[in-house]
Amino acid sequence: MSFLEAVRLAIESIWANRLRSFLTLLGVIIGIAAIVATWSVIQGLNAYVSEKLSNLGKGVFVVQRFGIITNRQQFLDAARKNRKLEPADARAIAERCPNAATVAYEVHATVDLRRDRHELRDVDVGGITWRLLEIEPFEVADGRILAEHEEQSGAPVCFVGHDIAERLFPGLDPIGKELRVKGVPLQVVGVAMKKGSLLGVSQDNYLKIPFALHRKLFGSQRSINISVQAAYAERMDVAMDEVRGVLRARHHLQPGDADDFDFLTADGINSLWADLTSKIFMVAMFVVGISLVVGGIVIMNIMLVSVIERTREIGVRKAVGARQRDIELQFLIEAVLLSCLGGAIGIALAYAAAASLAAFTPLPARFPVWAPLLAFGICTLIGVFFGIHPARRAANLDPIEALRTE
Amino acid sequence: MSQPPSADEVIRTEALTRSYAMGSTTVHALRGVDLVIRRGEYVAIMGPSGSGKSTLMNLIGCLDTPTSGEYWLSGQPVAQLHQDQLARIRNKEIGFVFQTFNLLARATALRNVELPLIYGGVPPAERRARAEEALREVDLGERMDHRPNQLSGGQRQRVSIARALVTRPSLLLADEPTGNLDSKTSHEIMTLFERLHRAGNTIVVVTHERDIADHAARVVTIRDGLIASDEVRTRTEAT
Ligand SMILES: Nc1ncnc2c1ncn2[C@@H]1O[C@H](COP(=O)(O)OP(=O)(O)OP(=O)(O)O)[C@@H](O)[C@H]1O
Ligand SMILES: [Mg+2]
Repeated sequence: MSFLEAVRLAIESIWANRLRSFLTLLGVIIGIAAIVATWSVIQGLNAYVSEKLSNLGKGVFVVQRFGIITNRQQFLDAARKNRKLEPADARAIAERCPNAATVAYEVHATVDLRRDRHELRDVDVGGITWRLLEIEPFEVADGRILAEHEEQSGAPVCFVGHDIAERLFPGLDPIGKELRVKGVPLQVVGVAMKKGSLLGVSQDNYLKIPFALHRKLFGSQRSINISVQAAYAERMDVAMDEVRGVLRARHHLQPGDADDFDFLTADGINSLWADLTSKIFMVAMFVVGISLVVGGIVIMNIMLVSVIERTREIGVRKAVGARQRDIELQFLIEAVLLSCLGGAIGIALAYAAAASLAAFTPLPARFPVWAPLLAFGICTLIGVFFGIHPARRAANLDPIEALRTE
Repeated sequence: MSQPPSADEVIRTEALTRSYAMGSTTVHALRGVDLVIRRGEYVAIMGPSGSGKSTLMNLIGCLDTPTSGEYWLSGQPVAQLHQDQLARIRNKEIGFVFQTFNLLARATALRNVELPLIYGGVPPAERRARAEEALREVDLGERMDHRPNQLSGGQRQRVSIARALVTRPSLLLADEPTGNLDSKTSHEIMTLFERLHRAGNTIVVVTHERDIADHAARVVTIRDGLIASDEVRTRTEAT
């Protein structure tokens, strides 16, 4: 019997029992849907993160008082132990680290802004040194960026994120207009290009002002973040070692002590992220794995039932010349098709889920093109693995016994 | 007695036995059957219930293997063959007609008749043509697309005869083919067998009705797993 013939038989028999076939497949459907949906969301997040979160350029790293904190205890320890970073630290780095080509810093504060009836909460106010613009260039939509002399004089000017222009100056050109921060009027000199949102958090809700002005407005208690552009991107680790040496000396750390500051790099962010998502994925895989095994067992069960129900049919086929492997192939293909059908429905569900997630939540989802291939591969394995036993049982039936059953 | 079978012998069995182990006892269904059937013969097998007729038919039809003894089918020894080899012989050499028809309920008459050709590896177009031809041969040319439950008992049996004939087997076996049919339909089926016999087919029919057996030229009677009589009769009249 040809393969095509066996496929045709399998389709006929699945169709003849369509409701039962569908119910049988729930486990596989859910498993495959979950696997593909999880994977699409993680893929989407990954692409998103490497594109948006780590907007640090090549060879750039940031020194911070606190690194990426993943639990509360870590935060408490760091808060107790880590010294504030100050402009003097940055100057020392600039002077004593030959591999640190450009050194700049930024200090942050959060304020609520109001203009006429318009209000914007939790705006990030960054006080920057002019050189930061060399390390992290801002794309200007309108007006201009801060000038070097403004930074040095602490002039009352600001460069604003897209949200500020849109929400506080609706329908107006904000350039040259006044914006009050902590009661001090600042002149808007430029508007940044829209960055969009990251996981639902707007990335355009910020203000950049000269560092000296920031100190005037918010005091000098805040720790700064020091951005360093290494002289050679491929030797960024050398620059980091130099910076580490300088800061440890300034902070009087003993050789055995841990650093009381942290480095942020694009690679660091990405690997932390990859670590996190791979853990999520592993947990998801475990759950999915269980549901697939259950799905497989259900398929095996229904195939065994089907073999019993169709004993007489098997007898007839054998009587007219079906060999053992013809029967085995028929039932095996039926099991594989059944589970692939589950896979196909699962993929369709996952696709719908990924699309609606992307549409209705801030979670990005990217539906991987090879997901169907992977899913069909898995389903074929499940079909073969759980279908072989019922298929063998059918193939080994004695023709006379089989013909005698009612 | 072990002489090689001559060319026109379709069936030759020697000391064929078949026993079934039933727990501690053994049922001897056949206890040494010697039977020769030549090409073109029409043989009826008779005997009381439980005498071993079906057991013999299953052996002859290669659905079963003997406990001991020899069996040549068209000159080829088949008593010791494996399952898949027997399947091949059933496909090529034998057409089996059952009392209960044994058609696939979900398939049309045409699909049912095509079934042996599917396992014989005949390509689809030829398969269809041959199945249609076989159905016409049993006067069911108009019923090809009907499923078994849309056919009468006699029509179903004719579908199963078409299925048995479609591979052009060397042997047509029928185990009580009229057992589930009324006497008028039985008569029609027996007329069909006669026609097939005249067309050159070798036919063996099991029956326990005398007037059915009367259609055959030779009647073999089995009793307690042994051949009790074997009469060749000259036909007095043709139907
Ligand atoms: N699978 C089996 N297991 C045990 N005993 C069996 C089996 N098949 C047949 N027999 C026994 O073998 C004997 C012959 O059975 P068989 O079916 O050949 O009789 P039969 O002549 O066809 O009878 P009937 O006219 O009722 O169909 C019987 O005693 C029966 O009980
Ligand atoms: Mg019988």
